[in-house]
Amino acid sequence: MSGLDIGGSQLDASWFLLLSAILFTIGTVGVLIRRNPLVILICIELMLNAVNLTLITFSRQLLNLEGQLFALMSITVAAAEAVVGLAILVDIFRVRDVEDIDELSELKG
Amino acid sequence: MSNSQLALLVLLFPAAGAILLAGRGWRLPRIVTQIVGPGVVWASFIGTLALFFGKVHGDYTYWTWIKSGTFEVPFNLLVDNLSIFMCLVITGVGGLIVTYSIGYMEHEDGPSYARFFTYMDVFIFSMLLLVLAGNFVFLIVGWAMVGLSSYLLIGFWYQRRSAVLAARKAFIMNTIGDVGMILGAFVLFVSYHAVTYFGVFQAAADLKRCPPGLVCILPLVHVQDSPTLELAAFLLLVGAVAKSAQLPLHTWLPDAMEGPTPVSALIHAATMVTAGVYLVGRMHPIFDIATYAHNAVAIVGAVTALFAATIAIVQTDIKRVLAYSTMSQIGYMFLAVGIGAYAAGFFHLLAHAFFKALLFLAAGNIIHAMHDEQDMRKFGGLFRQLPRTSWAFLIGSLSLVGLIPLVGYFSKEQILGAAFSKPDDPLAQAVWVVGAITALLTGFYTGRMWWMAFGGKPSPERPVLVPHEARSVMLIPVLILAGLTVVGGFIQTRALGFGPSAVSDFLVSPLGKMDWEGGWIDVAVGLITTALAALLFLAAYRFYVERSWKTWSASYPWAQRLLERKYYFDEIYDAAFVRPLDGLANSGLRDIEQPILDGAVVGTGRLAMASSSSLSLTQSGYFRSYVLVFVGGAVVAAVLLLIRAAS
Repeated sequence: MSGLDIGGSQLDASWFLLLSAILFTIGTVGVLIRRNPLVILICIELMLNAVNLTLITFSRQLLNLEGQLFALMSITVAAAEAVVGLAILVDIFRVRDVEDIDELSELKG
Repeated sequence: MSNSQLALLVLLFPAAGAILLAGRGWRLPRIVTQIVGPGVVWASFIGTLALFFGKVHGDYTYWTWIKSGTFEVPFNLLVDNLSIFMCLVITGVGGLIVTYSIGYMEHEDGPSYARFFTYMDVFIFSMLLLVLAGNFVFLIVGWAMVGLSSYLLIGFWYQRRSAVLAARKAFIMNTIGDVGMILGAFVLFVSYHAVTYFGVFQAAADLKRCPPGLVCILPLVHVQDSPTLELAAFLLLVGAVAKSAQLPLHTWLPDAMEGPTPVSALIHAATMVTAGVYLVGRMHPIFDIATYAHNAVAIVGAVTALFAATIAIVQTDIKRVLAYSTMSQIGYMFLAVGIGAYAAGFFHLLAHAFFKALLFLAAGNIIHAMHDEQDMRKFGGLFRQLPRTSWAFLIGSLSLVGLIPLVGYFSKEQILGAAFSKPDDPLAQAVWVVGAITALLTGFYTGRMWWMAFGGKPSPERPVLVPHEARSVMLIPVLILAGLTVVGGFIQTRALGFGPSAVSDFLVSPLGKMDWEGGWIDVAVGLITTALAALLFLAAYRFYVERSWKTWSASYPWAQRLLERKYYFDEIYDAAFVRPLDGLANSGLRDIEQPILDGAVVGTGRLAMASSSSLSLTQSGYFRSYVLVFVGGAVVAAVLLLIRAAS
């Protein structure tokens, strides 16, 4: 079976993977080129969800539930990570107004 | 309460007192320290009296301390007449001395005051553990702990450099003895596979020959039955010699007088230094077989008795005279137990505890009155000004000389009589000669001490012209000890050939019967010795108060110098051990520690810093550059994986 059954029509799995790859690339590039810390955090979330999509796609294609379980777990961890990340950011913003992540470069060797 | 619990309680009272004072003493009011410190010792004394009157006898095992395979160390206390006898001396005389300390230490501030009584209670506990222990392991524990308490108390005034040095010296000397003790116990354990007294003595008595084992391979002269027992006995003797300040491990005791005077009275006269005598007595089943070691005990004792008495003739510090006289008197005890007159040795231990504690405490009163001056040449004429203390001191001095009917006469003459009454034993004859000469010297140096400090006119250099008699808390223990010195001899008057022999009878079960009844010739010789010693006591008046006779030291200045330098023992030890070891340590510091060990550590640090300084440039602190490296690495890894999958 090469396609996935979505609403009665058959769609090739590679479309989903392509979407996932595009989302991941957007996220990666976002992390690399954007300067606002908040946006960087959002981009990381984007990358995570792209990976989740891949997991679910393969789960469906291979008729194996483990992929979905893994995605669920990944979502949970992502939520926790978002909480920590945002908490750090809020703490930093309290001390000073950071617009550019490059301003936070005190910890260097 | 059962007897076993009572025995444990005797041991635990001082421990509880020490723990309480150590934990809270400095915060509690002074009166608590004054009650708890001596109170727990008196509580132990009452417990010991209960054991004594209950005629308790037993080997009580409380629990197993260590158990591994067949090896087992029980925690057991051996309560027999010997340990009860020692406990009576320790807690009775100890109680008086700790009570006396209430007054003597009153100038200390709160924490130091509590610290002093803590140490004293620790000492009483350790000493009781030493004499009550029923196996070698706890004997060694007690043995080491009295050494520790001695160290702590000698160095009590730790602000004084001399006190710290003296404490360290005492500790090191005692540690040499501890090593001997431990090795001796090992020898016995390896040979007989037992750590309890009962097991070892049983095995030693049963075997009476070299048991199969490691120790027999050692090339020892074949003596009587067992070289093993000889080896063990000699090693135990090392411990006894160090603890009891006998030659050649004696140099710490005179220096130990740096400690407070009650400490000198309790630890360095009445109890701890007699532990060596106790050890030989307790181990007498071993020493009875190991005749060479047993003879060595007598020889060490006799030589030390004479040696210390000669030094005491020239000392000017009143406490040092007493210290050398203590060494000399313990020499008598060693001599006694060395020739098998155990009961006489222990009677002298008791008598010495009375009159030497008395002398030290009376000397403490004087030192207190003289504002810490200890040089006898600066006293003079105290007899009229401090009558009560002076009378007490005189009683102690005369007992030391051995005058009838003071306790010192009966105990000392019994030792000398026991030696004299063995005409077929050349060793006993030899030690009798040495002992008799020592008795005469004792008369002379005691007379010198007495007349210098109390006779004549007050010295012009005296720090206090009108001294005050001590407080009653310091006077009453002195007077009680003086009373004991006067009446104590009447419990055993065998030295006169008749009368009771309470101490010997009491010690028959642990030590065996003393086979001396004192014929008239022995008694006569004893009386003559005493009379001569007393004459020398009086002769010292001519030498040191009237100065009508030219002192011997003026005729023999070289002898004076030799004695003042204490036969150069300190100098010899300094040159033979201290300075070479110092040199070794210094060269180790200079040639090994600093260039090699330190150099390696510092070099490692420098190397790490040099190599990391260039790498640390990559840590720029810019978040995005890290991400770039990370993503770049992931891409490279992915590409590599793809290439591999494709090929």
